[in-house]
Amino acid sequence: MTASGHDSPIAALREASDGGPKVTFRHAGDQFLLVEYGEMDFDLELNFRVLTVDGILHDRGLDGLVDTGPGFRSNLIRYDPARLAPARLIAELNDIEDAVPAGSELSLPSRVIHLPIAFDDARSREAVERYARAVRGDAPNVADGTNIDYMVAYNGLPDREALYDEVLSTDWWNAFTGFFPGLPFMYPLDPRYALFAPKYNPTRTWTAEGAVGLGGPCVAIYPVESPGGYQLFGRTVPIYDLAGSNAAFRPDPILIKPGDRVRFHRVEEAELDQAFADVRADRYDYRIDEDPFDVEQWLEHCEEVRPEADERRRRREAAAEEVPVP
Amino acid sequence: MSDQAIEIIEGGVQSTVQDYPGRLGRLADGVSQAGPMDHFAFRVANALVGNPAGAAGLEVTLGGLRARFGADTVIALCGTPMPATLNGEPLPLWESVAVAAGDELRLRMSKGPGFRAYLAFAGGVDVPEIFGSRATHTLAGLGGLEGRALKKGDRLALAAGATGGAGGGGGRRFDAAPAYAGDWDVEVMIGPQADPDFLTAADVELLCSRPWKVDANSNRVGLRLEPFQLAWARSGGGIAGGHPSNILDDGYPPGGINMNGDTAVILGPDGPTSGGFVVVATVVHAAIWKLGQIRPGTDRIRFVPVTLERAVELDRALDAQIGAVAS
Repeated sequence: MTASGHDSPIAALREASDGGPKVTFRHAGDQFLLVEYGEMDFDLELNFRVLTVDGILHDRGLDGLVDTGPGFRSNLIRYDPARLAPARLIAELNDIEDAVPAGSELSLPSRVIHLPIAFDDARSREAVERYARAVRGDAPNVADGTNIDYMVAYNGLPDREALYDEVLSTDWWNAFTGFFPGLPFMYPLDPRYALFAPKYNPTRTWTAEGAVGLGGPCVAIYPVESPGGYQLFGRTVPIYDLAGSNAAFRPDPILIKPGDRVRFHRVEEAELDQAFADVRADRYDYRIDEDPFDVEQWLEHCEEVRPEADERRRRREAAAEEVPVP
Repeated sequence: MSDQAIEIIEGGVQSTVQDYPGRLGRLADGVSQAGPMDHFAFRVANALVGNPAGAAGLEVTLGGLRARFGADTVIALCGTPMPATLNGEPLPLWESVAVAAGDELRLRMSKGPGFRAYLAFAGGVDVPEIFGSRATHTLAGLGGLEGRALKKGDRLALAAGATGGAGGGGGRRFDAAPAYAGDWDVEVMIGPQADPDFLTAADVELLCSRPWKVDANSNRVGLRLEPFQLAWARSGGGIAGGHPSNILDDGYPPGGINMNGDTAVILGPDGPTSGGFVVVATVVHAAIWKLGQIRPGTDRIRFVPVTLERAVELDRALDAQIGAVAS
């Protein structure tokens, strides 16, 4: 019992062990368990652990396990209490923790999904222009009909090309999918290119399908036309297609799964528009490479580039001080 | 069964095809559950017409639906007392009724208490399954009829074998309909993010101390509560943001009381699957149906904390009531 007299939401706690982070098991009502890994740190290693344990949990086919929803450093597990007592679920998760190697030794099933991107495209400009006209005329994140110069300034970059280079220079890790079906929340795997941008205030009422934007430390692709709050910098091909008009979507209408990496390559907008039409006509081949993700190699790379990443972070933080938040 | 089994003459305020429990198994892909907001009335309606629990029916918000039947079937209407007529004659609620081809059903506006009614048809509404469910999620344009609310001119098919099924000729009644009122006691489990690490004990006491008015700006995505000020157990959200309600994104359970800064929103079946704000308490499954009957703008909610054991017990009691209809 807690001081206020109700049962504690914390069902169990597992202390950090060699290579494994602390795990906090929290009740979220009578059908969900929220499993949190480590402390509230912005640490992709926690996400690698979330996705590893999630995969094993599904492989074990536990009776009464209904659904799982990974977050950045947590997993929301839905269970049927008539078939699976939460204590049994927690015991299973502890057992998996015992079996999972230390974070640095993990290798995750993953794919590299190659996507074309047109920067500063007309559809994103249309979204920004509609926003400036109908929602907020004096937004500091809008200049010259785009959000791009705002992101350039906020990150202390010399010009637009430097921003585009950063987007193209790293793979983007889909840590989790949410907010809308198939919408990936992606983080840079190369810490040198850790961009940051505050979100819209208030939000935008319309965004084009395939628009690519930055909100906080995270890059997202809009699966369909929708409202949104991320700063837009470009547009790519469809990532969601219920009708399965392209072969890539026939096994699953959602292209990018948690644990996938997106690698952008730059194209002109005319080429992107053609690719968009080709996707719909089933003439476009998505390039997707199966490529397990090796955490040890990733950690070595992070260590190698750390001085440069730190230097860039200091420059970004100094620049951000001078730029107003929307 | 013909694909013109039901013709929609007027769609009403917001009438959608739903099924229970909705769209499960796609949380990792960001797909919301959807499904009937009041699962209890929905499940009773299905049981009254002899349908399996998973058959699709209609959720009618407030009223305004008019429909004509293109074939004989059996229907049941459960939920808010919505003045309902069949060919101009009053239609009883919480009771199965045989209808004939050509009959016209009319649901006028409910004056309450309650906010939604559920209409089950023997066999169930036959629309394509999307991600394993027929439930409509209008925000994502998924499920139901073209992913949207029904409108004039729509035609719905019923699943094969709909007539003369287990529902028989109608006349089956449910005698244990819950009493609706403007004040709702809603059972919750405190957490996942509550005291001692996110809220103070006094915050939890405040949350459960008095009724909260539900804002008019509430719907299937969420019920917004009148503003109140929590003390919070921490000064900020750390790396996740300036406000103590900020966290690195977690999955959201339907029924979660989500604090967006100092605004509380109870997440509905169409709410987002994840986000960067704490969930301080979660409505338990046996009580989540009440969210579908709460009238935005007038009704009030008092949160009643219960243990996990009690929540499971309450849910079994609901299941037993529905099971008694079906047997």
